[in-house]
Amino acid sequence: MSRSLSVMMLSWEFPPRIIGGISPHVYYLSKSLARSGVKVYVVTCDFPKAPQHEVIDGVEVFRIDSYKNPAPDFATWVYLMNVNMQKEAAALINSLNGEVDIIHAHDWLVATAGIGLKHVFRKPLFATMHSTEIGRRSEIRSDYERMIHETEAWLTYEAWKVICCSDYMISHVRWAFGLPADKSIMIPNGVNTEVYTETEDLGEFRKKFALPEEKIALFVGRLVYEKGVHLLVNAAPRVLEKVNVKFVIVGNGYMKEQLSSLVKGMGLAHKVLFTGFVDDVTLRRLQRCADVSVVPSLFEPFGIVALEAMAAKSPIVVSDTGGLSEIVEHDITGVKVYVNNPESLAWGIMKVLSDDGYASWLRTNAYRKVEEKYDWNKIAQRTKDAYSAVLNEYSRSFWAQKSQVK
Amino acid sequence: MRVIIFSWEYPPRIVGQLADYVKRLAGLLVKNQVQTYVVTYHDYLTGGHDDSDGVKTVRVSNPVRTHIGVLTWVLTLNQEVERVAANVHYDTGKQVDLIDVHDWHFIPAAVTLKKALNIPYIYSVESLENHRSHGANTPFNMAIKSIEWLGMYEADALQVKSKWMRDEIIRAYKVPSDRMKAVSSESANWIREVLANYDAVTRSAVLR
Repeated sequence: MSRSLSVMMLSWEFPPRIIGGISPHVYYLSKSLARSGVKVYVVTCDFPKAPQHEVIDGVEVFRIDSYKNPAPDFATWVYLMNVNMQKEAAALINSLNGEVDIIHAHDWLVATAGIGLKHVFRKPLFATMHSTEIGRRSEIRSDYERMIHETEAWLTYEAWKVICCSDYMISHVRWAFGLPADKSIMIPNGVNTEVYTETEDLGEFRKKFALPEEKIALFVGRLVYEKGVHLLVNAAPRVLEKVNVKFVIVGNGYMKEQLSSLVKGMGLAHKVLFTGFVDDVTLRRLQRCADVSVVPSLFEPFGIVALEAMAAKSPIVVSDTGGLSEIVEHDITGVKVYVNNPESLAWGIMKVLSDDGYASWLRTNAYRKVEEKYDWNKIAQRTKDAYSAVLNEYSRSFWAQKSQVK
Repeated sequence: MRVIIFSWEYPPRIVGQLADYVKRLAGLLVKNQVQTYVVTYHDYLTGGHDDSDGVKTVRVSNPVRTHIGVLTWVLTLNQEVERVAANVHYDTGKQVDLIDVHDWHFIPAAVTLKKALNIPYIYSVESLENHRSHGANTPFNMAIKSIEWLGMYEADALQVKSKWMRDEIIRAYKVPSDRMKAVSSESANWIREVLANYDAVTRSAVLR
């Protein structure tokens, strides 16, 4: 191939449109792929004031007119939006004389566009499954949920390879869709260490959240049941018997009211601070200030917040579940505690906060691990290798041979 | 000339009047030396195709079995229609002259194939959501109207069965009348007029 490898990413969100984790994932992956010499086109939904076409960090971004009439429901909107996405992406690939080697779809939200483009242009399709309907809901109860579940299954069926961000998700996806083992590839999510490299003194900043003599135990995440914030609140009295700590809880969610009345009832209002949603700069500074970052999740497909803490050089205490189990090596890069167990959680937090030597040992190892394994450039390289391997298989298929005849 | 017809009903699957109409049309096209493919839906007559009357018929089924309504059902079936049409395109050395899409169901597929592979299409309007919905304008009706609108906007030409329908489309969708041909299937010249429309569209597509 004389020209460089080229890929078209389909994603329903891309900065500045940020709804969940797919947006930053596709942004960092695309940017790092572009840096390694891959030509990347991102086709995504439009956003107020964001241009229809722009080049961001070497990535060509095209924003399509997402369906804007009132839609009957979310899933129907998704399929209607995909009609436009597929139309615009088709016109784009045609204008490039078909010089796009791979279509890469992120989640069922772009399934129909990705599958259609695969067949119309006869290109290999990659699918990254960030989450699943059956995982989010824990079971399929309605036709609406089953329709989404079956759309996900169809996407994994049509994909040449399915990428998941953890071994936990790989086994989950194999179970959920009956996927053959050799169709899935584990490539972890990455974290950008550069955003934590500010060097200014955070002494003044810290005072806004805690007294100088208080340690900071940080929770970052949506205040929902599966994130386990209530476990942290229940662990607080045990921790406070031994260490003077301020619990800083960042994020919003349906459990916020319930949690703050629980805290008041326990007489801990002066020790637990709910900040609500904070901007990126404040969040990163908080992560750098934290004496311990706590991830007490009950369900966690990957656990990006643990990686961010590791990159920010904050020691971590996580529950031993899902993707967190894979990220953290107990006693080396962090402390693992029993799931759904406030006593165990309190023990882990105290272990880190009462021994500075131990905390800095975890911090150093964790940061090294992030650089080794979760660096976006390395992840992009693994993704690029997966693309190349598939293109090699594809070049021997009758699709490649028939379609290339001009 | 090689033409692919998209229709959501085709015998033995008969929902309304469209199935028999498309069957008659396809048969007459074959008699007039048009290589004719019909891509349609059937839940169990799938896999491969049949060539009765010289019409190559391919029936697709929906990979997503569970649905909450006709809209999601249609929007996930379109990819299979695209797959089959793309197979015809590649198998014939990229020699498909025209797609004739009947009603709104497979408009997304026709539009994508036009944008991707430069295959022009004619939108043959059997009926409009405007009439079927009896004045209702729920998000569901709006979505179907928006697909009809997309079909009209992107079509190389529109073919309707009566002057009344032509006037209704002008009224409801503001489509310029010179993009529409009214051809009555009752007229003795029916198939000749259809062929003249096909010819006009393929000729101007070649010029482009």
